Amino acid sequence: MQTEDHLSATLFALADPTRRAILERLSRGEATVNEIAAPFEISLPAVSRHLKVLEGAGLISRGRDAQWRPCRLEIASLKSVDEWLAHYRRFWTGSFDKMDAYIATLKDKKDKK
Amino acid sequence: MSAQLADDELLITRDFDASASLLFTLWSDPDHFRRWMGPEGFDCPEAEIDFRIGGRYRGMIRSKDHGDSWFGGEYREIERPTRLVFTWTWDTGPSGEVETLVTITFREHGDGKTTMTFHQTPFISVERRDSHVGGWNSLFNKLAAYAAKQQPK
Repeated sequence: MQTEDHLSATLFALADPTRRAILERLSRGEATVNEIAAPFEISLPAVSRHLKVLEGAGLISRGRDAQWRPCRLEIASLKSVDEWLAHYRRFWTGSFDKMDAYIATLKDKKDKK
Repeated sequence: MSAQLADDELLITRDFDASASLLFTLWSDPDHFRRWMGPEGFDCPEAEIDFRIGGRYRGMIRSKDHGDSWFGGEYREIERPTRLVFTWTWDTGPSGEVETLVTITFREHGDGKTTMTFHQTPFISVERRDSHVGGWNSLFNKLAAYAAKQQPK
């Protein structure tokens, strides 16, 4: 079971265009820090900081090879976001059903006047 | 676990048999708000609304099974009767303390019906939201495709 803190960390990690671009790159396969950094106009240390945030949120994992440490997407971590959306979808869909019924009662009252 | 992503964003579109003006009032007037807020099995005994840009609202829904759930937020854009933007946060629960931004638009058809479009994202401010539009969806679509490839055959 993933915790609320994990959801916050995931959402925070996703709330940055550079980090989303990194995830997109990794959706095409593993890559080293150098390969990830190539298309960006930011420094290698800046890319490393982004990778740390993604790794902290569990969105990516890094290989053990000390020199290359290729990064890989960990899709399981997005499940918390998926569940979060599903929770809200149920809540609002149910509320709008009630809104629909309430509008009908307002119309009835108006007609009876 | 299944890595399939069922939803790439929260976007709900509904047609109501009501004017845009009435729908807008159902969101902005606490006496109306209490009557529909929350799914079946929930009541909304508490709702306080300070309906102005920068004003806050606070409410609570109650059910026998789930107890009391408090929520609240701040109004960011008010354009009666076509557009309403506010933040939304649950105090506790599965998505507690994650601030979200809700954008609702109302479009009248002229036959007494109105389409309400409801959009909610986890991105917290209007300034930041604008830089996120598009990125969120396209990323999720790509990641969902990637996830599908990872499924054991």
